[in-house]
Amino acid sequence: MSPPTDAERTFREEVLPEIDAIYRFALRLAGSPAEAQDLVQETFLRAWKNRDAYTPGTRARSWLFTICRNVFLRGEERRRRHEEIVREQSGQAAGASEAATGDGEPDHAVFMAVKDRDPEGTFWAGVVDERILAAIDGLPGDFREVVVLSDLEGLSYREVAQVVGVPEGTVKSRLFRGRQILKKELHEVALEAGLLDRDAPEPRTSEGGEP
Amino acid sequence: MNWVRELRRLLKEARGKRTDDPDGLEGGLTCQEAADHLQEWLDSELDEEMAARVGVHLETCARCYPRLAFERAFREAVERAARAEKAPPDLKARVLQALESEGYREE
Repeated sequence: MSPPTDAERTFREEVLPEIDAIYRFALRLAGSPAEAQDLVQETFLRAWKNRDAYTPGTRARSWLFTICRNVFLRGEERRRRHEEIVREQSGQAAGASEAATGDGEPDHAVFMAVKDRDPEGTFWAGVVDERILAAIDGLPGDFREVVVLSDLEGLSYREVAQVVGVPEGTVKSRLFRGRQILKKELHEVALEAGLLDRDAPEPRTSEGGEP
Repeated sequence: MNWVRELRRLLKEARGKRTDDPDGLEGGLTCQEAADHLQEWLDSELDEEMAARVGVHLETCARCYPRLAFERAFREAVERAARAEKAPPDLKARVLQALESEGYREE
């Protein structure tokens, strides 16, 4: 048996260890563990066949995300109906976009709603993992992938832009908007779970220091 | 009465600069400017100088700090939920098997 080539060694040392991150991404893209597993297998097979295209020492993870996303999108026809719904939703959401922060902007809404009861948002820590992941899965596809790559996997705007194939500005606006949708959803979850008192009278004691 | 005109001019100027925050201008930024950069600051996407100014403002301004803490708590919850997930062990075995049928060799 011949000794492993450099590409083989790189594949073993840099590419294969990313399987957990790729599985998480695949799971959020595909929605079910069974589909996610097929997607991961296909992603690594394609990566292996194209191993010479990977430059050692660069971010193997970003490279794999790109492959994974392409594999997923190629299977799109099979779930065209599902994707139609997703696109409809993202169309609606995009209309309400132009996200920045600041007073009156939607990003502010949840904070403003709870700031008198829980100004530092300690209730977020009480929202269970399953509900958070379900809320992410419920995001329109365009928003979901940037939120997953950025907030779950820690890619920079530039890296996300490369994976998704859109300008950085688009990444940013989708990311901000996606987070806003998530916050609204999870705020509702927190209210339902009793983590925040829905009808609590807004405390207006002198302690707050607000006139 | 020149000093009256001067006083009016100074008041007008001061009003133009007034921020929402009476303690204000930590890091040389208004609360609104700091809030506008909150997301990018947490994403580590600002240049060094702006990042320093926004950081000073958000960490030290009594009005803005809760907003920062709120956003951090939200992100920590999302990250925690995501980190809980790992690829199932049999998936790793399955992927290795598929790769071996394409010529990959375990050492």
